[in-house]
Amino acid sequence: MIEMRDITKHYGAVQALKGASITIPAGKITALLGSNGSGKSTLVKVLAGLVSPNSGSILINGQPVVIRSGNDAQARGISTAFQDLSLLPMMTVSDNLLLGNEPRTPFGMVDREKSRQIVKDLMDRFKIRCSPQDYVQSLPSSTQSMLEIAKAVHRNPRVLLLDEATAALHMDEITVLFDILRDLRDQGLSIVFVTHRMHEVFELCDEAVILRGGETVKSGPVTEFTLDDLVYYMTGQRMAHHAPGQDVSETSRQGQAVLEVKNLSLPPRVKDVSMTAHAGEIIGIGGLEGQGQSDFMRAILGAKHKTGGSIRFLGEEVAFRQPAQAVKAGMGLISGERNREAMFPDRTIAENIFAGNAAVGPRFRFLPKKFVRKFSEDAVKTYRIKIGSLKDAASTLSGGNQQKLVIARWIAVGPKLLLLDDPTKGVDIHSRLEIHQILRESAQKGMAVIISASDMDELLEIAQRVYVFYEGRVSGVLQGDSMTQENMVSLMMGFTNEKADGLLMKSKEAQA
Amino acid sequence: MNTLTQSVKKFRRTPAFTGFVLFTIALVMNILMQGINSGTPLAFFKPAFYGSMLMTNAPFILTTMAQSLLLIVGLFDISIGIQLALVNVICIMVPQELGLPIWAGWLAAMGANLLVSAAFGACSSLLRLPAMLVGYAFTFIIKGVNVSIMSKPQGKVPKEVYLPYQTLIGGVLPVALLVIVAIFLMWLLIKRRPLGKHLYAVGGNPRNAYAAGISPVKVQMQANLLKGFIVGVGGICLTLMNASGNPLQAEDYGLRSLIACILGGMGFGGWGSMACGVFGASFFVLIQNAVYYFFSYLSKVITGFAVSTYWQNLVSDVILLLGLLVTIITAREQRKTLKEGLFNQFKGGEARVSR
Repeated sequence: MIEMRDITKHYGAVQALKGASITIPAGKITALLGSNGSGKSTLVKVLAGLVSPNSGSILINGQPVVIRSGNDAQARGISTAFQDLSLLPMMTVSDNLLLGNEPRTPFGMVDREKSRQIVKDLMDRFKIRCSPQDYVQSLPSSTQSMLEIAKAVHRNPRVLLLDEATAALHMDEITVLFDILRDLRDQGLSIVFVTHRMHEVFELCDEAVILRGGETVKSGPVTEFTLDDLVYYMTGQRMAHHAPGQDVSETSRQGQAVLEVKNLSLPPRVKDVSMTAHAGEIIGIGGLEGQGQSDFMRAILGAKHKTGGSIRFLGEEVAFRQPAQAVKAGMGLISGERNREAMFPDRTIAENIFAGNAAVGPRFRFLPKKFVRKFSEDAVKTYRIKIGSLKDAASTLSGGNQQKLVIARWIAVGPKLLLLDDPTKGVDIHSRLEIHQILRESAQKGMAVIISASDMDELLEIAQRVYVFYEGRVSGVLQGDSMTQENMVSLMMGFTNEKADGLLMKSKEAQA
Repeated sequence: MNTLTQSVKKFRRTPAFTGFVLFTIALVMNILMQGINSGTPLAFFKPAFYGSMLMTNAPFILTTMAQSLLLIVGLFDISIGIQLALVNVICIMVPQELGLPIWAGWLAAMGANLLVSAAFGACSSLLRLPAMLVGYAFTFIIKGVNVSIMSKPQGKVPKEVYLPYQTLIGGVLPVALLVIVAIFLMWLLIKRRPLGKHLYAVGGNPRNAYAAGISPVKVQMQANLLKGFIVGVGGICLTLMNASGNPLQAEDYGLRSLIACILGGMGFGGWGSMACGVFGASFFVLIQNAVYYFFSYLSKVITGFAVSTYWQNLVSDVILLLGLLVTIITAREQRKTLKEGLFNQFKGGEARVSR
C-alpha cells in the first residue's frame, strides 16, 4: 500500500498541489479524478519521481520514503504510463518497450533472442499490431499509447500509474486494456487510473480520489458515489439531470450572417461542426481543453485544412489556403498562447501593435514613423494599455497588458470577424474584465466575435450563445435561460439526455 | 533471395543509407576520374594508392566517427580537431623532453585527451552550457596548451615506430584500415550493449530517457569519454603519419567532421550511427580526390589550362552542397518535411503528404 500525505507543490506563484493526499491500496484500481488544472498529473509525477514536492510525505507499507528520480521510483516498483508519452519517437518499438530494462547475456550484451520473445509476448498480450522494428514516430497515436502502457507493465511494477492512458485509445483497445488491468489487479497490483471519462470510472475502478484546486476533496469506494456526486466534487457544481438537447432553435437575430459553418470536419479533432455568427454577436466556444476548439478556429482561418463541410464568410463560400488570405478578407485570430503565436517580445510595443495593420496593407507602401506612432498611440489610448514608452520592448509589459496589446493589434485593423482562442489564459481578473469590455464595444460596432475559453464562467458572462465541444463535436448549444453552469458542466462531460440518464442508472445500480 | 530483398529494404530505412548513397557516388566518381587521369582504368585499386589515401585520411575518418558518437547523444564538439593536435604534441614531447619511452608518450596523450573530453562533458552535460560555445572556448584553450607545450612544429618519431603504420599487410591491407575497422567493431559491440540503447534514448529525448530510469548526464559523460578515446587513437595515427609534431594542425577537422556526419545522414540527437560518420567522411575525402584528378586531367588535355586550388575547392564544396541536398531527398523524414514545405509554399495550410 502506498500513501501520499499532504503533498504541496508550487511553480513560482502557481500552486499546483495544496496538501493533496491519496491512499493506493494493493489489489485495487483507484481512480484519480479532477477537472483541468486540479493537480492530478502533478501528483502522478511526484510519485513517478519526476517532480519533487515542496512538502508532504510518501509512505510505502507504512515506511516513509523519498523518491528522487525516475530510477528511484522504478526501484520501488512504481511504473508510469504518461499522458504526454515517454516514448522515444526515433527509436524502434522493440527498443522503446525494453528501454532501461533490457535482458542481458552473461557478457553484458543485450540478449536479442530473449528481447524478441519478450517484445512478441507483450505485443500479443496488448494486441498491438505493428512490426517490432517500426519506428515509433511512424505509428498512430492510439498504438503509441498502447505501447506506453505496455512498456510500463513490462517493468513488473507493484504500483502502476496510468495518467489519462485511454485518451487516445479506440474502443476495442480500451476493452483489451481493461481486461489486462483487471488481471493485474487480481494479481495484487495497485493501479492508479487518471481519466476524464466518467463511465470508465464506474466500469473499471474500485476506489475514487477526487482533487479540486490541488486538494483532495473526497475519496472512497466508487460504489459510494453517483455520477452526480463525482461531477459535484470535481467542479463544485451539481450537474443538471436533464442536459439541454442538441439544438436550440435559432432565434431571429439582427445583423448580417458573417460566418456560416456547415458540417465542418477535420478528423480526428473536429467532426461535423456547424455554427453561425452574425454581425454584433459574441459567440462562446466551451469545453474541456483539447476537444477540438483550437482546431476548429484554425480551420476557419485556413491555418488547417478541413476535409469536409463548408464555410461561408460574408455571404460567400470560402476555403482559405493560408491565414494571410483570411486576414486580408477581414478575419483576425487572437491566441492565448501569446509567446508562441502572437508576440514579438524583443520588438517595440509600437511595432507589435502595428503588426496587424502591416499584415493587411500593400507590402511596399511607405510607412512614415509618425504614422506608425500615431496608430499605436491611438490604440494604446483606446484600449487602455498600460505602457512606459512606445519604444520599450513588448516583453516589458505585464501578461494582461501584453494580451490587450495583441487584441488592440487586431481590433484596430477592424476585422469583420474576430476569433479568440482562450485569450485570457493566465490574465489577471482586472485585465480580463477590460478585455471583455473591449470585445463588447467592438461587437456593438458590428464585429462578429467568436471566443473560446477554458473557464466556463468567462463564457457565461460574455457570450450570447455558447457552443460546447466534446471530443470534436458540439455536444450542445446554450443560450438564454439554458446558459447555466450546471448545463455547461454536463455538456462538457459529453452528456446529452440519454447518456446522462443511462449512467446515472448504472451508478445507482452499482450502489444498490 | 527474399532475405536479401528484406535486408536491402531494412538498410534503406536506416539513417546510414543516405551516407551510403553519397559514398557510392563519390567512390565511382573517384575511380573514373583517377582512371581517366592516369590512363590506367583501375588505378584506384592499386594498394599503394588506396593505402596512402587511407593512411592520410584515417585521423579525419576517426575524428568523424568520434563526432558521430557525440551527435547520437545530442552533443557535438568543434574543438575535436585541435584535440588531435594535442594528442600529437604530447606524443612527441613526452619522449623528447622527458626522455620517457614512446609508449609512455602515447599513454600520456591518451590520458590528457580523456581528461579534456571529461571536462567538455562536464561543461556541456553537467553544467548544460551550449555545446557550440564550449567547443569554441575549448578550441582556444587547447590551442594555448598546445603552443605552450610545443612552441613550433618540431620533433620526430623513430622509423621503426612509424614504418609499420605506413605499410600494407600482405601487400594489400593498410594498417590504417585495420585501426578504423577495430574502432568500428568496438562501436558495434557498444551498440549491442544496453549502453548503446541508452545513448540513443538520451539523444532522442533526455527527459523521456530520465523517466525510463536512465541518467542522461552519466550517459553523455560516457559518450564523451568514448569520443576522447577514439580521438586519442586518431591523434596517434596522425603522429605516425606525419612522424613529427605540429601544435596548430587539424583545427578545421572540428567543423569538417560535423559536416561529414550530417552528410552521412546523422541528425542532432538520437538519429544516425557511426556508419554515417564513416560514409560521410569517406564521401568528403573521395570527392576532394575526384575533383583534384578532374582538374589535373583538364590541365593535361587543354594546353595552358591551370587552375588554382581555390577553384578546385569551390567545385568540391559545390558538390558537398549538392550532397547535403541528396541527404534531404534520401532521408525519409526530411523528404516529408521538404514535400510539406513545398506544398505549403504553393498551396498553403498544413498539408497532409502521404509518405
